[in-house]
Amino acid sequence: MSHLEVELQQLKAETIKMWTLVNMQLRKGKEALINLDKDLAREVMLSERRVNAYELKLDRDCENIFALFNPVAVDLRCVLAILKINSNLERTGDIAEGIAKFVTNVDNTFDKSLLEITRVVEMYEQAISMMDEVLEAFDKEDTAIARKVFLQDEILDEINIKANKIIANYIRNNTDNVEAALYLLSIIRKLERVGDQSKNMAEEIIFYIEAKVLKHRSVKEQSK
Amino acid sequence: MFKIESKNVDFFYGSSQALKNINIAIKPNTVTALIGPSGCGKSTYLRLFNRMNDLIDNTKITGQILIDGEDIYAKGVNVDSLRKKVGMVFQKPNPFPKTIFENVAYGLRVNGISDKKFIEERVETSIKQVALWEEVKDKLKKSAFELSGGQQQRLCIARALAIQPSVILMDEPTSALDPISTSKVEELIYELKSKYTIVIVTHNMQQAGRVSDTTAFFYMGELIEYDNTKNIFTHPKIERTQNYITGRFG
Ligand SMILES: Nc1ncnc2c1ncn2[C@@H]1O[C@H](COP(=O)(O)OP(=O)(O)OP(=O)(O)O)[C@@H](O)[C@H]1O
Ligand SMILES: [Mg+2]
Repeated sequence: MSHLEVELQQLKAETIKMWTLVNMQLRKGKEALINLDKDLAREVMLSERRVNAYELKLDRDCENIFALFNPVAVDLRCVLAILKINSNLERTGDIAEGIAKFVTNVDNTFDKSLLEITRVVEMYEQAISMMDEVLEAFDKEDTAIARKVFLQDEILDEINIKANKIIANYIRNNTDNVEAALYLLSIIRKLERVGDQSKNMAEEIIFYIEAKVLKHRSVKEQSK
Repeated sequence: MFKIESKNVDFFYGSSQALKNINIAIKPNTVTALIGPSGCGKSTYLRLFNRMNDLIDNTKITGQILIDGEDIYAKGVNVDSLRKKVGMVFQKPNPFPKTIFENVAYGLRVNGISDKKFIEERVETSIKQVALWEEVKDKLKKSAFELSGGQQQRLCIARALAIQPSVILMDEPTSALDPISTSKVEELIYELKSKYTIVIVTHNMQQAGRVSDTTAFFYMGELIEYDNTKNIFTHPKIERTQNYITGRFG
């Protein structure tokens, strides 16, 4: 293996570590929400720092590879893609932290029926599975797996759109619980953004492996 | 512990001072790149490490150069054994007018080794180390001049390795080579690092970036900046270094 290949492999391995950590944050955040487990939520919030440290390190590693190796073609696309995936992951980490923060804020009288009527748990699971799949696509350099997430994202969109009506209705009937309902709506918004980040990362993987730019295309075109 | 240390080194050709107060400390198993504009003293400095400048009349060094902690300019130092420890590869491939085999065996023979089997083994390992074996194993008895420029250069590196030095000096080792041979030699340098300490002079910025751990930027006989190659290539501290590596001055 050439020197540059060794460097790129290390860069990928670091990215996968960061990615695994972010996905773990999301998983724990989901458990924390379902069980209103505040300790677990605080743990998620703390790991945000580690994600940030990874982001800085990956930024620096990419900068070094550009400066020292002047990568071209697939190698160049790989570093460019990782640079963007890095900031997508950092934002996803922020989102996970935001959700965890909600769990620590909510009081114990939280009405759990909200979880069911909004389908937030289903949405959460879907978002996590998208993140897992894009990670797998990255690890295996498999664009077919990456393409699957564009369709999956539609479920997130659907739940997100319906949530407005559901929450509005709920608030009308439960005027004591307005705050919790609004928090939940903001979680749903955040999860929708996790879906967007996954899609962005899938686009980066396809760009890196196939040299195709998929940004700003419709879902149908993307999943082809 | 440093492999090579240079302490307050000044160097003169007659009355003209070519190097001014150079301080460097090189760790073992690293690659150090010496960069800087033409005439800044890179080759002069490199040649101090195996006392090649001794061969030039009317030169003078002050300060100290230590290799493995020993002052190589101290009285009583055996220059032959120093050059055995510190091998050198030049800009132009310079094989001897001998067979491929004899080129690599040369250093062993002049060092008084005559055991045929030993020499054969050492020649083979050295040629393998430079990834040339597959290309030459069937024509070891042919003249070294029948090889391509890139192959000749790798042969010269094998010749340097055969006497098992621990330091290898390279003065623009790829400037006469095509891009493919260049990247082979660069990969080779990267691999040799695990066994040797390497100091390389290069005019190719990308090459310095790709192969070296540490970079020393010289300008008019002075060491302007000396740091991790990563730092030099991403955020040099001194503007003159930045101007040079970005090609803003010649
Ligand atoms: N044998 C010599 N006698 C006198 N002066 C010399 C000799 N060799 C080099 N010099 C002078 O010493 C200075 C440094 O030369 P040196 O060859 O070390 O530069 P360099 O950095 O290797 O340049 P280049 O990149 O062109 O190879 C120059 O001014 C040069 O003219
Ligand atoms: Mg020179």
